[in-house]
Amino acid sequence: MRQGRQLDEIRVNKELLNGALETPAWWKWAVLFFATIVVTGFVVFGIQTNKGLGVTGLSRPVFWGAYITTFVFWVGISHAGIMISAILRLTQAEWRRPVTRAAELLTVFSLLTALSFPVIHAGRPWRIIYWIFPYDFARGLWPNIRSPLIWDPAAIGTYLTGSTLFLYVALLPDLGVLRDRTTGWRHAMYGALSLGWRGNPRQWRLQTVAGVLLSALMLPIFVSVHSIVSWDFAVTPGVEGWNSTIFAPYFVIGAVHSGVSAVVTMMALMRWLWKWDNFIRPEHFDALARLLIVVATAWFGFTVVEILFSLYTLEGPELAFRDMQIFQWPWSGMFVTFLLCAFFIPVTMWLFKSVRSSIVLMFWTSILVNIGMWLERFLIIVPSLARKQPFVYTWGSYQPSIVEFTMMAWSFAFVAMNMLLFARFFPLIPLFESKESMVFTTEMKIGRTTIPAVLREQE
Amino acid sequence: MASRITAAAHDDRPTFQEAAADLVNAPSTAASSTTTRWFLILGAFVVLGVVGFVLKIADHGMDDRRAWGYYVAMVSFLLTTAGGAPMLSIAPVLAKANWVRPVMRVSQLFSSIGVLTAIMSIPLIFLLPPLVEDEVRRRSIWFGSPAYFPHIWDTIAIFGLVFLGLALLWASSMPDLAAIRESGSGRRQQWARRLAPGFIGTSGQWKALRIRIGVLSAFYFLFLIFTHVLFASDYIHALVPGYKDAIFPMYHALTSLQAGTASVILASYFLWRYGGFNRYIGINQIWNLAKLQFALSLLWFYFFFSAFIVFWYSRTPQNEKVIELFDQGPHLWAFLGALFFCFIIPMWTLMWNFIRVSMRGPAIIAGVIIFGTLLDRIRLGVGAWATEGINDKFLQVVPETVWPDLWDIFMFLGMFAGAAFLFLLVTRLIPAVSLWEIQQSRLISKPAMYMRSEVEIVGKPD
Repeated sequence: MRQGRQLDEIRVNKELLNGALETPAWWKWAVLFFATIVVTGFVVFGIQTNKGLGVTGLSRPVFWGAYITTFVFWVGISHAGIMISAILRLTQAEWRRPVTRAAELLTVFSLLTALSFPVIHAGRPWRIIYWIFPYDFARGLWPNIRSPLIWDPAAIGTYLTGSTLFLYVALLPDLGVLRDRTTGWRHAMYGALSLGWRGNPRQWRLQTVAGVLLSALMLPIFVSVHSIVSWDFAVTPGVEGWNSTIFAPYFVIGAVHSGVSAVVTMMALMRWLWKWDNFIRPEHFDALARLLIVVATAWFGFTVVEILFSLYTLEGPELAFRDMQIFQWPWSGMFVTFLLCAFFIPVTMWLFKSVRSSIVLMFWTSILVNIGMWLERFLIIVPSLARKQPFVYTWGSYQPSIVEFTMMAWSFAFVAMNMLLFARFFPLIPLFESKESMVFTTEMKIGRTTIPAVLREQE
Repeated sequence: MASRITAAAHDDRPTFQEAAADLVNAPSTAASSTTTRWFLILGAFVVLGVVGFVLKIADHGMDDRRAWGYYVAMVSFLLTTAGGAPMLSIAPVLAKANWVRPVMRVSQLFSSIGVLTAIMSIPLIFLLPPLVEDEVRRRSIWFGSPAYFPHIWDTIAIFGLVFLGLALLWASSMPDLAAIRESGSGRRQQWARRLAPGFIGTSGQWKALRIRIGVLSAFYFLFLIFTHVLFASDYIHALVPGYKDAIFPMYHALTSLQAGTASVILASYFLWRYGGFNRYIGINQIWNLAKLQFALSLLWFYFFFSAFIVFWYSRTPQNEKVIELFDQGPHLWAFLGALFFCFIIPMWTLMWNFIRVSMRGPAIIAGVIIFGTLLDRIRLGVGAWATEGINDKFLQVVPETVWPDLWDIFMFLGMFAGAAFLFLLVTRLIPAVSLWEIQQSRLISKPAMYMRSEVEIVGKPD
């Protein structure tokens, strides 16, 4: 059953535009809070650039640490948008509608954040240019274009461009509505952005076709992005724990797990902050939790197979590495926390409908998942490098410094601040999707029971 | 807004009485001479397959692993196609898909072919070498376990999967069997009496039935993955020295979903075209199955490429040997066939809606995919069983191409005939389209007009 009131179109406009046309009291304080962290992050980054990477915990043999972990984490979160918008659109899942915009937005901002981490990690950011251009034209020292490290920016750049386009195309009808309800510079801005949207049948047809086409075209990019990130590790035979053929789908499904969980977190916050109880309803959380059970179980299956086959050869270095990763403190503590947070606690809880329909519990379990998924990436990257060399005297360890913790906090604040700024000017729940949903959903009476129903086109 | 549903559209779906007459009574009256002739022909081929098997043992014994590669490929193929098909009655239900109802029984009927898979897997127990030979332990996912652990667990897995499949088929057929018990006739009614005793459709019985189907479906899915992981690891992966490929079991399981979908499409097409079920199975089912088939074909390549790039990139001698064994050298023909038939042809055809929205297009592509899956299993099964030095750390010599002999061809024919025989035999008892699913579909969906378009209103109960 639908859990919430059925609103008319006027009410939908009023409630969904309340973020863009009116400023809630808490908004400026929230922006100020996150902006403070963002500014602090920039200052710390400046210090790191001035002093060098010595201010971080990175040292021989671990040169990939919290920055690269956070990079992989945000690339993972970015999978939320396409999973929710493209895949659920193609499979005609009606419940996706209130969530699409926020998920697409999360994709764009998390990709921007992810892209900044290799730059931060480079220590001397201007040298990032050597990623593409030769070290020395005269001697023809070009970067190795067969390396996945070179494919990464291309894949992420394409994904960012596509996701932004996807977001923008879906925003056009709402921009038209905003243009007609504003005056002054805002009217001019929305007028320019809406590209002459009038809502005539031809424009609607083109917008629908563009949405479906972009959904289909984005899917291969969606899969390729995290696959390429996984190959940064998987094609390196010399590092124990990395050279695994399962990494590409394992990373992608892990990304979907973490991305969809992040959408749940965001939906709960949106419902609480903007009081959108009639749009983001318990049944949406229930549907997302069901999806997450399937995704998490598949991800867990991949985790088990990955570990099983890493032990398959029973070779000394691999066994020693896994022993350290799973049984030696502090890695063992992280390993247990990762499994409990990313799978056992949330999935066990989601099996109960009362949990799936409880927004508070869904909020906290989704946060648990992302704590677990960050730890998963950390456990893939760092312990492997700590035992990269065969000789004991070359082993090392790693502990992130305050600089790295600050930059991680910066990344969360950067995404949150951008989301809030966006919400100030554009509706976070798509108006036209909400209205279309009213057309495509209805109720059906069977005997004495009324059940929700949807309209399906006939071929 | 949904009030723009202006009028009820013309409803030409069969009524309950018509459906009952078609599905409960029709097959028993259709025991024509053509059907009997088909059973005789298929039976003859099954006998030919058994003869091929006996002569194979007489020629090669059970110790020559190289000679049995095609047999392993056959079992692997059956496990892949028939084992994966019932998933079509499980996965779309989770998404509350209504279109799948008319083909749910078709997919479950493939469980009956599991009996053949189980029977054919018995000789594999004797063919698979133990984990320890001459006090040397070979690599496997069983590490330090007793020498015959894979033999025991793989058999449990295959038989368990078959048992679960048959239990699922039986549970979901219960209401139809009860209908046959009440209004059927002849031997069919006698069987229905035995198989559906006491089911009279009380609320409690329906509730219990739903729970039973749900639990069996969940276990079937878990067992399918478990069986593929074990089979792919023990019968293929572990026999190739130096081969370490974590995605391989998952690839094996994924191809099972792809080939299972193809099998259901093909069977649905034949039932629509020749079985007299054209009022139940239609374009809506084939269209949706074709979309799924398209997605699974893309995933086929993704899983293959995920492994290939890591092997190709590492350039280590053992990985190059594995690529040569499976993709380049003696089985290049099978690899290219699998690539074309499982990925390139399905991708370039099913991406077009006009092909998906046709009965014949997806059916032809389904046939192509099944053939591609067979080639893929030959590539892997024959390749793995032709290697030597099972205890070596790396593959030293890539074996020559192994071509099938006459007995292998006999066994192939017997396998296909046996599968078709079992499928047809079970449809003699259980309707190929579920009466109660059709009835429920009729209850929770209805055709309507939305402005000037014909639409379907589909209920989504919790």
